[in-house]
Amino acid sequence: MDTSSPAAFVNGALLRRYIGQKVRAVIQVIRSDVGSVIGKSTDDQQIVVKGSPQPPLTTYLEVIGIAETDNTIRAEVWTNFGDSFDVQNYNELCKLANGEFRHLFI
Amino acid sequence: MPVSLTPNAITAIHDGDVNLKPLLQVLEIKMIGRSQERSQERYRFLISDGVSAQHAMVAVQLNDRVKSGQFEKGSIVQLIDYICSDVKGRKLIVVLNMETIVQQSETIGNPTIFGETDTEAQKTFSGTGNIPPPNRVVFNEPMVQHSVNRAPPRGVNIQNQANNTPSFRPSVQPSYQPPASYRNHGPIMKNEAPARVIPIAALNPYQGRWAIKARVTAKGDIRRYNNAKGDGKVFSFDLLDYDGGEIRVTCFNALVDRFYDVTEVGKVYLISKGSLKPAQKNFNHLKNEWEIFLESTSTVELCPDEDGSIPKQQFSFRPISDIENAENNTILDVIGVVTSVNPSVPILRKNGMETHRRILNLKDESGKAVEVTLWGEFCNRDGRQLEEMVDSAFHPVLAIKAGKVSDFSGKSVGTISSTQLFINPDFPEAHKLRTWFDYGGKDTASFSISRDTMPGGVSRNEIRKNVSQIKEEGLGRSDKPDWITVKATISFIKTDSFCYTACPLMIGDKQCNKKVTRSGTNRWLCDRCNQESDECDYRYLLQVQIQDHTGLTWITAFQETGEEIMGCPAKKLYAMKYELEKEEEFAEIVRDRLFHQYMLKLKIKEESYGDEQRVKMTVVKVDKVNYTSESKYMLDLLVR
Repeated sequence: MDTSSPAAFVNGALLRRYIGQKVRAVIQVIRSDVGSVIGKSTDDQQIVVKGSPQPPLTTYLEVIGIAETDNTIRAEVWTNFGDSFDVQNYNELCKLANGEFRHLFI
Repeated sequence: MPVSLTPNAITAIHDGDVNLKPLLQVLEIKMIGRSQERSQERYRFLISDGVSAQHAMVAVQLNDRVKSGQFEKGSIVQLIDYICSDVKGRKLIVVLNMETIVQQSETIGNPTIFGETDTEAQKTFSGTGNIPPPNRVVFNEPMVQHSVNRAPPRGVNIQNQANNTPSFRPSVQPSYQPPASYRNHGPIMKNEAPARVIPIAALNPYQGRWAIKARVTAKGDIRRYNNAKGDGKVFSFDLLDYDGGEIRVTCFNALVDRFYDVTEVGKVYLISKGSLKPAQKNFNHLKNEWEIFLESTSTVELCPDEDGSIPKQQFSFRPISDIENAENNTILDVIGVVTSVNPSVPILRKNGMETHRRILNLKDESGKAVEVTLWGEFCNRDGRQLEEMVDSAFHPVLAIKAGKVSDFSGKSVGTISSTQLFINPDFPEAHKLRTWFDYGGKDTASFSISRDTMPGGVSRNEIRKNVSQIKEEGLGRSDKPDWITVKATISFIKTDSFCYTACPLMIGDKQCNKKVTRSGTNRWLCDRCNQESDECDYRYLLQVQIQDHTGLTWITAFQETGEEIMGCPAKKLYAMKYELEKEEEFAEIVRDRLFHQYMLKLKIKEESYGDEQRVKMTVVKVDKVNYTSESKYMLDLLVR
């Protein structure tokens, strides 16, 4: 496993802590534009993901990339997460991974 | 400290003075043996006022204080609550409450036994009169008396009973008048004086004359029965008195005609004469071990001058969170806000009679909610009223007196014939709930203790264990099997014998499934059916090793669960292995079934094989892991 540049689990609110760093987030796709995808984070905030994913996209996507601003990610890896995904659980995971159990995550 | 005894106290008590609160000296303490029918011991004191001495029975609720040495020979005590009753023409003092004033003292004066010796009377009385200790908290509130098994609400003035001593108010006793004074004019004289009103708590079967003043809190319908003695009818009603004593009154046949129309719920009556019999605890949930059976000489008279000193109803509300741990069939009182009411549905009872059922939901400040099942008349009368209220977006407070706990699916509360419902009742508990609900309680999520599913799809009744806990906690060792759920991975499946030859014959609408053996004629013989068949069925009898992060264990899976684990019928696997001899393919299928994680519901029971004890674990349900609900479950464990 490559641990040289870990990607932090984030939701919309946590994104701003990692500007300039590598993050991972699951988003619900709202629409695809040229060169970007507009989506909703697991805590219901709008996020712009820059880059060009391979279509077709499922409802939920995991993106890994660099946090550019507090609502944009430049994505390097796009993964389809299917059409049913429990956002609440993921959102709780983000909170725990950046809070109480931070020490367990690289 | 020189203390003088109350002069002439014994005589005064004999004359019926119950407000004297005399100082008396204990001359003798004797434990009267346990009687045969009730293993309750009693103490008899010889008490003296310095001139006369008299035996007095000590109520059983004081037994602990006698045992702990609070009263001893020579102690000077103050009688606080006591009665003097007639037992077969003799006077007998029963002490309900007393306090020690001086622990030790020389015998004061030279007392002689009052009147003649009471040995006869004592004999009949020994081991009698169990006065149940009232065990409750009394609110200083005029109309409704509550006892609540939880922290008292703020702002309510509580006269807290630190111990379990009865809460007879010592100073004034408005409901009990001293009796008409009368004297013994000789043995043949009939006692014409009206019986003295005593607390319900002091009733016992050994009093000839008594009267109680009490409010009817509930009244049953007339029930007709038919038994070996013929037809009959019966009805009963429940009483509550000033001191919170409660008792059920039952009457049969001609007495039903006489008393049914007389008694009315909410009114106060003077009731006299009748026999006391042990309460039928399965029908009678009142806190009294006796029940009154009215007789032809009994009287039930309306008290027109009642002043509201007797509470209308006595509740001991339990928070809904308590019901979760209450035993099945417990009778209890509960109060909550009605959050939803389902329509009334007709239900066919086991005896073929049709009745109605309506389910509603109740929640309270404990953060829990419970399903309440209304049966029969409650559905239409109260149920409809509640439904209309909830339909018009109003959530009424509902108090349930004497509901029965059921553990059918989770825990729920159902009505029984003596249940009473109070919609938006006017008492502090209800007002408090109303305030709670209107200012936030309405929007707080309550956890239902009734349905057996939790949010996240985890069954509420399911007891989650890990593999090592099975052994550590000695599951299966008690009388009943333990039912638990483990999340585990299958790590090995025994394949040398994975199924058995089963009898395919039908017994009624079920397949026999007993093991069959090859008979001489190459057919399959079943010992149970005593028949042969050409074909046999193959059913799983699978030994599976499972493991989780704590350890591993062996479990047994039968047909249905076996098929779930193997993913195909036993017959197919058997044919593959033994008839087609496709060993490779068979091994591939088995390998493919390994290292899958399941939610396994297990039945665990220790059984003996010969003289060997073995804990047997059988899979009763195999479920795929639902990752969403499992994540929720684990998140819940983390934040707890």
